Amino acid sequence: MNTQVSLDLEVMLETQGLCKYWGGLKALDDVSLQFYDKQLHGIVGPNGAGKSTLLNMLCGHYQPTRGSILHKGEAIESIRPWAFARRGIGRSFQKTNIYSGATCLENCCVAVQRRMGGNFNFLRSRYTQKVLDEIATEALEKVGLRHRRDVIASQISYGEQRQLEIAMVLATAPEVLLLDEPMAGMGHEESQLIIELLKKLRREYCIVLVEHDMDAVFELSDQLTVMVDGQHLTTGTVDQVREDTRVKEAYLGQGDEVF
Amino acid sequence: MTTSLFLVQLINGLQYGLLLFLIASGLTLVFGVMGILNLAHGSMYMVGAYLAWYFVEHTGSFGVSAIISAIIALLIGIFVERTLIRQLYRRNHLDQVLLTIGMIFVFNALQGILWGNDPLGVSVPESLAGAIPLTDVLEYPVYRIFVALLCIGIAAVMYFMINKTRLGMLIRAGESNREMVECLGIDIRKLYTIVFAIGVMLAAVAGVAAAPMSSIVPGMGEHILITCFVVVVIGGMGSIKGAFVAALLVGLVDTFASVLVPQLSSMMIYILMAFILLLKPQGLFSS
Amino acid sequence: MLFNKRTERIFIWVFFPLALLMPLFLAENAFYISKMTSVMIFALFVMSLDYLVGRCGLITLGHAMFYGLGGYLFWMIAPEYEAVNFWVYTFYICMIASAVALVIGFLVLRTSGIYMIMITLAFAQMAFYFFSDSIEFGGNDGLFIYVKPETSIFGLSFFNLDDPVHFYYLCLLSLFNTLVFFRLLIRSRFGRVVDAIHENPGRTTALGYNIFLFRLMSYVIASALGAYAGYLFTLQYGFVNPSMLAWTTSGSALVMSILGGMGSIYGAILGTFVYEGLHYTLEHLTEHWMLFMGALIIAMVMVFKNGIAGYMEKLLEKRS
Repeated sequence: MNTQVSLDLEVMLETQGLCKYWGGLKALDDVSLQFYDKQLHGIVGPNGAGKSTLLNMLCGHYQPTRGSILHKGEAIESIRPWAFARRGIGRSFQKTNIYSGATCLENCCVAVQRRMGGNFNFLRSRYTQKVLDEIATEALEKVGLRHRRDVIASQISYGEQRQLEIAMVLATAPEVLLLDEPMAGMGHEESQLIIELLKKLRREYCIVLVEHDMDAVFELSDQLTVMVDGQHLTTGTVDQVREDTRVKEAYLGQGDEVF
Repeated sequence: MTTSLFLVQLINGLQYGLLLFLIASGLTLVFGVMGILNLAHGSMYMVGAYLAWYFVEHTGSFGVSAIISAIIALLIGIFVERTLIRQLYRRNHLDQVLLTIGMIFVFNALQGILWGNDPLGVSVPESLAGAIPLTDVLEYPVYRIFVALLCIGIAAVMYFMINKTRLGMLIRAGESNREMVECLGIDIRKLYTIVFAIGVMLAAVAGVAAAPMSSIVPGMGEHILITCFVVVVIGGMGSIKGAFVAALLVGLVDTFASVLVPQLSSMMIYILMAFILLLKPQGLFSS
Repeated sequence: MLFNKRTERIFIWVFFPLALLMPLFLAENAFYISKMTSVMIFALFVMSLDYLVGRCGLITLGHAMFYGLGGYLFWMIAPEYEAVNFWVYTFYICMIASAVALVIGFLVLRTSGIYMIMITLAFAQMAFYFFSDSIEFGGNDGLFIYVKPETSIFGLSFFNLDDPVHFYYLCLLSLFNTLVFFRLLIRSRFGRVVDAIHENPGRTTALGYNIFLFRLMSYVIASALGAYAGYLFTLQYGFVNPSMLAWTTSGSALVMSILGGMGSIYGAILGTFVYEGLHYTLEHLTEHWMLFMGALIIAMVMVFKNGIAGYMEKLLEKRS
């Protein structure tokens, strides 16, 4: 059953009957979703609902057991993991995943350089090309980390590291942003920063947001999908989902009071 | 190749494979449970052979010598684990490689100091001397059959220990989840000491068993170590069952290769390994 | 980054001028010249390994395969009784070694961690037995090189390889060039990706890099230089034998690299000189030098984790 409303926007990413089995365990079972350009699509659900599994397949980290993933209409589920990023599908990680020994600028430079070329230039110094630095700095600027440009990534605060994580994805110039719990482990004020950031970004990119912080998801999402036990429960606007009795049941059944 | 020659080679291959299993099982056990790659494992095989020679010279009895050697090996294992290996659990593979290379140097030097560098030999114990007829014209040494049976016996005991006893349960638990064992209130360090010591003892026992079959020379440890690597990698790191299957496979391939394709004989097992890793990068029985 | 530029600069300014002047004082003493030369050749080999293990995080126990290959290749492709051009053959050998490394790297780099340690070892052993078992390659005794190459470029010849001092300078130049090359490589944009992969391979893949390609490239570069070192060794002693590609050669190179300070590149020179120096001294003091060497290696793992380069930098930091 698909309650998803058809919008007058381009479908960037689409899954069709996506399944992932770990041995006998069905981590994800027959999920079909559409993600639209310039929309923020939230995905919520209790622990073990398959949200992260879904995200990990959308970015090519896992191979689906069955089903397909379409990017602008092309099936991409069998391409190599690194090719996803080249198609403009960028992701952030649930656990902070940065180059903690390098400066914030250098972190973003790695991301920018991929599309700027010269990766197999063995002799020319990496520090001579200013264009690269500028684009990387822009990415930092976007998430509000410009003042941390030359600080080693391991020395900035946890919240800033989460922002850096997003800056790195932005630096790859993606069309689709897959964000895996960007606010995990953050205090209220830090979360607020990320929310403001996402509000700015959601009209520029196709964003898929997996997040535990319900207030944040409700505030940000254009579309919202609820998942339970690896299955798609419902998709709709925030208000539609709020009204859905099955959603309440699913959450109450888990003893997880979020609504 | 005639049938009887084939038969002899088959038994030879199986017997060699079983001996390899004895050494490789210790290597894979230590890796599986403790995550330690012990390059000095071959040195323990060498130490076993030299100890066997030494005590045969002094007691005159192969049996007594074997028991004393095994006990000494066990003590060496406990000592090395307590003093050195223990520092390495949280370190990377590189440090493990280096430390155990250092240990090889030390063991080789001690061997030179204690026993010199001339080849030594242990004669087959009298009760196991002689040969049994296979066909009208062929016979097979009793001692080799004894070694094969001994290896099968030890493999059976290991199988029983790992699957049926409390220690075995802990070993299996330690392989899959270190934290869990600690949560059970068990001192994992004690478990590690025991496992390492058993691994060392297995290698030394193999050395003792091999002593009457081959000459005892410096460097014998490194040679067997590399062969055991091949066994462990083919079988899948940490898998005892894999080590058993792979050891027999390697034993047979090596034995038959030396008859059928002598010019490639020493390379054959490495070719086998490369081939298997291409098909299954984690080995045959990886967990 | 752990290793800072200043310590490196100090080292380079101390080591290379000293090495440059050394033959002036020791020209009479052929033994020391030849000893120094062989240590420098091995330092070049260790440097290539240091790049692979320390910078790329690819731990290999089979690097000696390329060291030996460099020697055997020269014997295979050079005519037996005719002096060939050194530079041309350097090119040939590096190219062939690269091609071999491309194939082997393609297989080896599919694995990682402990499996990679073991499979590199297996390939090296395969090569070892290939050469030591075949009569055509002289078996365990190896082969002799009767004629040394000449070194002219456009008719100008700076080095006469039959003269130990000339050969010494050629090796010193090679070592210096390799050091400079690796410094450039590390600073380059290629080096940026290599650093990124070393620190966080998963993240680098997520950013769209095919990390396999970069690892393969690094493997090929390090292997070609390893082969070059083996080629120099063969030219120095006029023979090639299987012990060059024994796993103990890889093992001791690894020890030297760690001793110097893994990943620091210049530390490879330091590590090799200190190791060989200790080896030489201990060997003369006692027959059982291996015992002390072993104890030293163990102590190194336990105490000096960042090698001599790391230790020196700590000292300098304290002073400043």
